[in-house]
Amino acid sequence: MSILDIKNIHIDFPTSKGVVHAVTDVTLSVEKGRRIGFIGESGSGKTTTALAAMRMLANPGFVASGEVHLNSLDGDTNVLHLDEEGMRRVRLRKISYIPQGAMNSLNPVMRVEAQIWDAVVAHEGAMEQAALQARSDAALNGVGLDPRVVGRLYPHELSGGMKQRVCIAIGTCLTPDLIIADEPTSALDVITQRHVMQTLREMQAKIGAGLILIGHDMGLMAQSVDDIAVLKKGVLVEFGPVRKIIEDATHPYTRELISSVPLVGGESFLQAQAAPPKGEALDVPLLELDGVSKVYGSVTALHPMSFALDGEEPKIISIVGQSGSGKSTMGSLMLGFNDPTGGQVRFKGDDINAMNAAERLEFRKQVQAVFQDPYACFNPFYRVNHALKFPFENFGMQGDVDAAMREACEAVGLDPGLVLGRYPHQLSGGQRQRLIVARALMLSPKLLIADEPVSMVDASLRATILANIHDLKDKHGISIIYITHDLATAYHVSDYVMVLYHGHVVEAGPPTEVIGDPQHAYTRLLIDSIPWPDLDRDWGDAGDARAALDKLAEIGGTPETVYRGDIPGFTLRQG
Amino acid sequence: MSDPTNAAAPETAAPDMAGLTKRQLKRMKRFDNPWNNPKLIWGVSLLLGIVALGIFGRLFWDTDLVFTGAVMPSQAPVGFENLRGQVGLASSPLGTDVAGKDLLALLIVGAPNSLYVGVLASLIGMSLGIFLGFTAGYTGGRVDDVIRVSSDVMITIPPLLILVVVQASFGDITLTMMAVLIAAFVWQSPTRLIRAQVLSMRESGYVQMARLSGASDRHIMFREMLPNLVPYLFGSFIANVTTAIVTAVGLEVLGLGPQRVPTLGRVIYDAIDSAALTRDMWWWWGFPTVLLMVMFIGLLLINLGLDEVSNPRLRRL
Repeated sequence: MSILDIKNIHIDFPTSKGVVHAVTDVTLSVEKGRRIGFIGESGSGKTTTALAAMRMLANPGFVASGEVHLNSLDGDTNVLHLDEEGMRRVRLRKISYIPQGAMNSLNPVMRVEAQIWDAVVAHEGAMEQAALQARSDAALNGVGLDPRVVGRLYPHELSGGMKQRVCIAIGTCLTPDLIIADEPTSALDVITQRHVMQTLREMQAKIGAGLILIGHDMGLMAQSVDDIAVLKKGVLVEFGPVRKIIEDATHPYTRELISSVPLVGGESFLQAQAAPPKGEALDVPLLELDGVSKVYGSVTALHPMSFALDGEEPKIISIVGQSGSGKSTMGSLMLGFNDPTGGQVRFKGDDINAMNAAERLEFRKQVQAVFQDPYACFNPFYRVNHALKFPFENFGMQGDVDAAMREACEAVGLDPGLVLGRYPHQLSGGQRQRLIVARALMLSPKLLIADEPVSMVDASLRATILANIHDLKDKHGISIIYITHDLATAYHVSDYVMVLYHGHVVEAGPPTEVIGDPQHAYTRLLIDSIPWPDLDRDWGDAGDARAALDKLAEIGGTPETVYRGDIPGFTLRQG
Repeated sequence: MSDPTNAAAPETAAPDMAGLTKRQLKRMKRFDNPWNNPKLIWGVSLLLGIVALGIFGRLFWDTDLVFTGAVMPSQAPVGFENLRGQVGLASSPLGTDVAGKDLLALLIVGAPNSLYVGVLASLIGMSLGIFLGFTAGYTGGRVDDVIRVSSDVMITIPPLLILVVVQASFGDITLTMMAVLIAAFVWQSPTRLIRAQVLSMRESGYVQMARLSGASDRHIMFREMLPNLVPYLFGSFIANVTTAIVTAVGLEVLGLGPQRVPTLGRVIYDAIDSAALTRDMWWWWGFPTVLLMVMFIGLLLINLGLDEVSNPRLRRL
């Protein structure tokens, strides 16, 4: 029996540029106990469709036509006909919502258990304190949190994963018919993500509710849901059981989504190149870290480490780790944005933090970067040309700026006539990130630091942008430091990988060794936690996830480094 | 996927203009140019009206009538009677005060003066605020501490208290001098505002990109950050003009400020001083009050309009 039927729903957003049809003619049903995944890129209408069932559309959106039937309602089952009070009673009790940012959705001034009591009292009326306590204890126990400890805490005392599990506890404490989870793990690292998703699945199976999981990660979907609904530009392009979608998708867009998830050991999305051009031969290493460490107050972001990168043979060095592992700190140290607490960062033998203005300009010209957020990298006041033109002129480079810009755009697969001369907000995230790559190409530096260059770009464009970055090495002889949390892309693009954990290198070597056959417990845990878009490669259950987290706690603060072999032109040592 | 034209397509569905009423379409067209904002246009027109009063008044009316005894004293506006039953004459269309000054001439000279004090004080305050805010936000450290603490302390001091004491001891001062004194109390909020914005912008992606491009601190401050602050600066400037005019009028109504130059506040002070309220000479205090209201409403509308220009979410369909 289905619990929710969405019939021919159309959702419109009137804007100053005209009416946007965010969702067009979507029909689907959620069966009892079934998990449905809504997948699509940002702006595809996946959240909008799900929120329409709760009547929680963002202003000024409205349901233009169609019906949403919640079959457990008495009499008229169409939720669009309910009044405000009726809708209030439906929310949480019949349909609950687990939001994307658990950090912002818990009340910061209330204890965790009191927030559960609030939900219970709002729907079932006042009751004895003991009864309330029993309810919150049961809800927290269900998600694997100790009610006597966690229940008494305030949200800021919990980690991100714990907060998200509290949200699951609140979302399931009234045993709703349907749970809508809107990218519940997008802010969490893969290890915590696995634990939270397993908890959610476990709770959903226990109360027998339907689940709508909204996301953009095909791998996560494959590991978490029974059916997948693929949305593109507000249209439901494909809907079916997960195995059928993954193994035999009919719509080209679905196939593109699946193929955009790189697999470790799978086929590479890069084209092999002939011998890449050589960089200049130097007596000193291009970039050298000599016992560099960074301490912020009482936190050690990076323990002393040294490496030397030879620039003659261009290569890509990947630095992999979770948030807080110190990988971005390394990036900003190498760019000279941050002074190291100990040691020296040397570029062509000169300490980059002891340069005069002229030397610094020369250093800037030779070391460029691509940052994570393509939306922030352009000054909204200027046309995008400014970001390309200014450094070109500032570095006193020879040649025609406009011709160089056009050439660089074409090299990264952008039509110069289409993107140049526009304002940043008129371009998509993918276009902007490619423009930043074009900028790096135009300046032809010796070294490029790419700090999570694709983590904020839609999945279908990631492979293209990584291929652009890879071309910088292959066709233009630029050495690249690739900083990422994504082991699968690191596996494909890099020549050498180092895995960072709490500011230590735990494992380092060629990618086929480190990622293909991990030896260190932490690396293995990271790889096991990746949600594979492969149904036969199971993710394990909540027990496994919990055991993995316990194991992580055992590794503690001073792990051993496992060296897995060297490549010519790069040496690394911890200390 | 690698097709460049494909990459340019937006990820969301395209907007659809069909099915809208003519009225909605017309309103939407207006949003093509955000500066074409009714509130902003009305506000600017009201202020320009005050300026026009000053300019055309000087051309078409004799400003020498502001001196004592220039016309018959205590006359009502045209078509009204004063307490003695004398009907107002066209030679003094807005009436006269007890000292025989023509009210129209007083307004022609006084209204632009009040606006001048406000704009000048605000300009000086903003310049100070921009300089201090950028210095504090961008330099950080000890300099930031000093600027932050001093602006926080200054914000708690009631300006009128200090100004009354200072101006009373100065005696007669010029309009410019008064603007400078008021400016000493309107730099704090722009300083705080700009410091906060600079602090957040300093870490933003485009400032990092500019540093990567080898930009100097001056380039980053004035070419990368300042243009993005323009909406804030405008809003802050207009709010400061309002504060400065209120402060100036407040002092003038207390009988402080310039003694020999007509200002709107001075006219109201004279009216109160000569018991215009009990003598039923409503035109004496009424017309300057109306002009002040026009000024404040104009400034408020400009501020609301600017808010809508810089924040598209406030615009309604």
